[in-house]
Amino acid sequence: MKLGFLSIDIGTILFTLCNTLILFLALKHFLFAPVQKILSERKAAVDQTLADAEDARSRAEAAETEYNEKLANAKEESAEMLRTATRRAQQRSDEIVAQAREEAAGIMQQNRDELERERRRAASALRSEISGLAVAAAEKVVEREINQADHERLIDEFIDSVGDVQ
Amino acid sequence: MAIPEFLQGPSELDVSGPKVITSFKLFGLTINFTETVVLEWIVMAIIIGLVIFLTRNLRVRNISKRQAVAEMAVEAISNLVRDTMGKRFLSFTPYIATIFCFSIFGSLISLLGLRAVTSDFSVLLTWAAITFILITATKIRFGGVGGYLKGFADPIPVMLPINILSEVATPTAMALRHFGNIAGGSIIMGLVYYGLTALCHMIRLQIPILTVGIPAVLSLYFDLFSDFMQAFIFIMLTMVFISNAGPADDAAEA
Repeated sequence: MKLGFLSIDIGTILFTLCNTLILFLALKHFLFAPVQKILSERKAAVDQTLADAEDARSRAEAAETEYNEKLANAKEESAEMLRTATRRAQQRSDEIVAQAREEAAGIMQQNRDELERERRRAASALRSEISGLAVAAAEKVVEREINQADHERLIDEFIDSVGDVQ
Repeated sequence: MAIPEFLQGPSELDVSGPKVITSFKLFGLTINFTETVVLEWIVMAIIIGLVIFLTRNLRVRNISKRQAVAEMAVEAISNLVRDTMGKRFLSFTPYIATIFCFSIFGSLISLLGLRAVTSDFSVLLTWAAITFILITATKIRFGGVGGYLKGFADPIPVMLPINILSEVATPTAMALRHFGNIAGGSIIMGLVYYGLTALCHMIRLQIPILTVGIPAVLSLYFDLFSDFMQAFIFIMLTMVFISNAGPADDAAEA
């Protein structure tokens, strides 16, 4: 038996209603629920990843700032050290130069003193030699023995006067 | 040489409804168990089997191709519902998907040589009735029972009969449109087969070989294209009518 082409059959309607409901529940249960669960899980995972990335970025930025700060501090410190060292070296070199100058002045003074002593010694030696020569010359001149002591006194007076003249 | 009967082609054009397999009485009502119901079960088995196959081993990462297809399908239908009905009706998505799948597979089953589920008017009438109930429920949900009843006298009470008519016309037209396209398509295809067979017999061909390739081209339109179009039109109309039953102001949902 066949139904009419455009028949409205209450049995078919009831069965179709049930079947549609069953298919609806099946699709909801087997397709939409699991897939939407996975999709929301993935969304959560992506959000988490993005948050982590943001966190990592801010941490990297903080580290960079800190690093730059440290670098600037280190630079300043090294410059300071350089300045200190330069100043100290300058001071030291000044000291050394001053000391050297002092020493040189001392040595010069010593030399001058030595020279003076030498001059004096030479002068006195010359004086005695001259007096000897003078006596000898005078002996030759006057050809007579005179009192040695008197002569020497006279000659010294003479030399002194000569020295004064000189 | 005797040609086997199945090779001889149709000897008559059969335009009739579904076969009644058995009938029984329930509360004094004769309930027919027809061919259509069995076909519905086949279609449901195919859809549910496909869905279970696609959603096996769902993972968050490293998804399989099957899962990608399942996710794409869910997202596509969700987006369609969201774009057409708005966010507040997103919960209708599984129902829309149900009707869409049932309609498409119920129509495409005709490619297997079976009777299309959607060429039974009772099926389309059922789905249209569900849509009608959902439209009415949405109107009552947003306007209250009073608002719903008042809507029949809009804009003037004289319009009452016309409003009732248009209310009934909506599901009837939907059901008839879908039924007419699929059933009409199958009749045309039957006519083509019948005509080509008759033509072959006329030119003394015992086996109707003309029916091998020519109907396939027409079948592309009358089966494939028409099936997709009608399923799509049916769900689009369902979505539009239901969302129009809600308040026109969409700003609240944004």
